[in-house]
Amino acid sequence: MIIRAHKVAGVFMLDSQLATIGEALYGEKVFGEYRLWDPQRSKLAALLKKEENVPLRPEQSVLYLGAASGTTVSHLADIVSLVYAVEFAPRVARDLVRLSERMHNVIPLVADVINPNYGHIVELVDFMYQDIAQPRQAEIAITNAEMFLQTGGYACIMIKARSVDVTAKPKSVFKREIKKLEESLEIMCVHELEPFYKAHAAVIARLV
Amino acid sequence: MTIIKTWYGEIELQNDEVVRSNVLKADAAEMAKRLQVEKFTSLDKRYRGQLREMAIQLRLVTSDRDYNSLIRDVSIKRAKEQISAAFAHPDARIAQLIGGIDDIDESINLLSERLLEWDILEFEKSESHGVTGNHVSESITYPALKNEFTESVSRLSELRKAIAGAIELEMRVIAPNLSSIAGGLLSARLIARAGGLESLAQMPASKIQVMGASKALFKHLQFGANPPKHGLIFQHPLIRGSPPSQRGKIARTMAAKLAIAARLDFYSKEVHPELLAQLEKRAREIHSSTIRSRT
Repeated sequence: MIIRAHKVAGVFMLDSQLATIGEALYGEKVFGEYRLWDPQRSKLAALLKKEENVPLRPEQSVLYLGAASGTTVSHLADIVSLVYAVEFAPRVARDLVRLSERMHNVIPLVADVINPNYGHIVELVDFMYQDIAQPRQAEIAITNAEMFLQTGGYACIMIKARSVDVTAKPKSVFKREIKKLEESLEIMCVHELEPFYKAHAAVIARLV
Repeated sequence: MTIIKTWYGEIELQNDEVVRSNVLKADAAEMAKRLQVEKFTSLDKRYRGQLREMAIQLRLVTSDRDYNSLIRDVSIKRAKEQISAAFAHPDARIAQLIGGIDDIDESINLLSERLLEWDILEFEKSESHGVTGNHVSESITYPALKNEFTESVSRLSELRKAIAGAIELEMRVIAPNLSSIAGGLLSARLIARAGGLESLAQMPASKIQVMGASKALFKHLQFGANPPKHGLIFQHPLIRGSPPSQRGKIARTMAAKLAIAARLDFYSKEVHPELLAQLEKRAREIHSSTIRSRT
């Protein structure tokens, strides 16, 4: 097996498989100190397989919207210094809390990202990651970025076309959502997540 | 002069300098409690950037690492409280009970089918070999097993009855108007599907009408198929018992009444029995008008 460092510090390629270094947390495969990161289970992993220039750095603090049970959060927390993880549904937030009890740099918040009521808790962050199944994804990203993202900070927004509009073609949904994002953010790049995810696109943007 | 209210206390600022502060002790349980009981507004962005420095300056914590571990402890405590509050909600209990009924129904169907096949097999064998089986062990254990199996099925249907009773009882308390129109079970199903009484109360009637028929609805939206007339509410005897040509009209009225009932149940708790009477009256009208138009 050939191990090499990914361009994002803290991420490794074991042959063609992504991995981070840490304790196994949700039943993922482990090779020594490496935990494999499955692009079928994490959109961020899918993005990192397609694009190595993702502006994630070890010293960053991250606001994560739509943390779910924390699969992606756990790998992200291996890479950066601090993750504020927001999840609204109590059912999955329970797993997230369990995870944060085992990871010293994950801060769980049970809250709604549409009307952010964590404005007295979360500090300014360097990076924002959003993966939510909501129709108004662009608006939610803009609200949160303007409140919580440092000027010059980056946002990675996973657009789930099927949640925005089931009847429209994914490509036209992406276009529409990106246009909305452009009003407040500077778009750096866009990647569709095929073949790992259907009708999903990752947008990397910057708050100027 | 500005007063800002943060997760760790209140701070008074003048020209961006701290002039007075009321910062809590670094006690995670008490801080989580305060987050629950007090009202907060969102901070101005420039103060948000100083949250961490101010906490260190005010000696709440001594380092970045301390700050992280304190905010993490507080957030975990707060999140746990929020989660257990959500699960203690009657809506969550109702959804569990309804889920239980569905599981039992599925099991009963499955087991009854097996039992039927068992019966057929036995019947065929008695036809060809006489009354008992060939082996002694078979003739002893076989009927006992079958009895046990039959009893299990009937115990399951007892359990189903008990759960249905519990749902009816609970629904009469939390949603009296809904259950007077649709009965406890169907109302509970509507609440569970909507994700709680609150979301049901905020739904338009048209959504309630087709809730549970999403496949047909999306076929309609995507490919222009006929729109569904009814979803879950098809189970209502007024719809199921009517001729197909009238079901759509009745479903529309029923959904409208259910929407009103859900709002009454969630926002006021007043009981309005006339809702059911109005629905039944309208159903009779629909019934007689279609008969008239045919003749």
